Amino acid sequence: MDPVFILMITGLTSVGMLILGVRRLRFSMAGLWLVLGKVCETIGLTLMLFLLNLAVGMSTILAWRSLTGRFVSIYIASDTTVLILSLLQALTFQAWRESSRQHHTSESRG
Amino acid sequence: MNDSRFVQSLGLVTLVVFFLASFTPLPNLLNHWAGVPSQLQPAEAIVVLAAGMDAPGVLSNRSLQRMIHGIVLFQRGFAPLLALSGPINRQSGRDEAGVRAEMAHLFGVSPSALVTEATALTTREEAARMAALLRPRGVSNILLVTNYDHMARSRLLFEKVGFSVHPASVDDLSEVRKPEARLRLMRQLAQEFLARGYYGLAGYL
Repeated sequence: MDPVFILMITGLTSVGMLILGVRRLRFSMAGLWLVLGKVCETIGLTLMLFLLNLAVGMSTILAWRSLTGRFVSIYIASDTTVLILSLLQALTFQAWRESSRQHHTSESRG
Repeated sequence: MNDSRFVQSLGLVTLVVFFLASFTPLPNLLNHWAGVPSQLQPAEAIVVLAAGMDAPGVLSNRSLQRMIHGIVLFQRGFAPLLALSGPINRQSGRDEAGVRAEMAHLFGVSPSALVTEATALTTREEAARMAALLRPRGVSNILLVTNYDHMARSRLLFEKVGFSVHPASVDDLSEVRKPEARLRLMRQLAQEFLARGYYGLAGYL
């Protein structure tokens, strides 16, 4: 019941948002596909950064262990906060890239 | 542009995996495949592996589950010895094995039936230190208490140091249905698969 209930709620609000966007706010459907692509891009970037953070964290811990002989648990590199921070990194990088593109476009026009 | 397409595809795959992990029985099937069920038999000792403390003196959920299972097996007469593992916390100076021993004592386990080990920091070290503690006492046949997903790797390590191991698995999550619980299970499995890969590469298994 739980999975179906959660999918039902989010499905209903998504359909509501679609109706609101198309009928009331006059958003274009083409724009929606473009944004879905951007969302996938952000998620893909988050995954890449998460794996990078994980790899750097684990390598640092292994190097620390072999250099100092002191034990640090490798599990600390897989804390949930690493995933959330990776998402923040991805969002920041995406926004930075977008603003740089706009900046370059306005400069070339000017 | 090609880079952007690659990252988008990666994002799409991540979303598909997220939906499969949260809303389908995929993690349950993986857990069932990766885990080892209990094969309870009388043994010479019950060995309860460490699982960490959340705060000084406070056992983590996994540690508590393993400990309770160990005490129940002891009370049911499966073995005359209860061997508890769990390292010392440098900041608090308290060790998981000691906290567990206090708990076992409160549940009526005699101190003479308890063996504690507070120096091992990894599963591999736990196997080696338990062998050094228990083999001189003539123990070669053990009931190993750890989580269902952690059992396969632990059993191999304990067999490698000369024990005959009977699994006493706790916390079989093959039947969880809530999306959040399935995600948690998927994370545990990912950690365990990484650990198996690392142990395999290092030649520990």
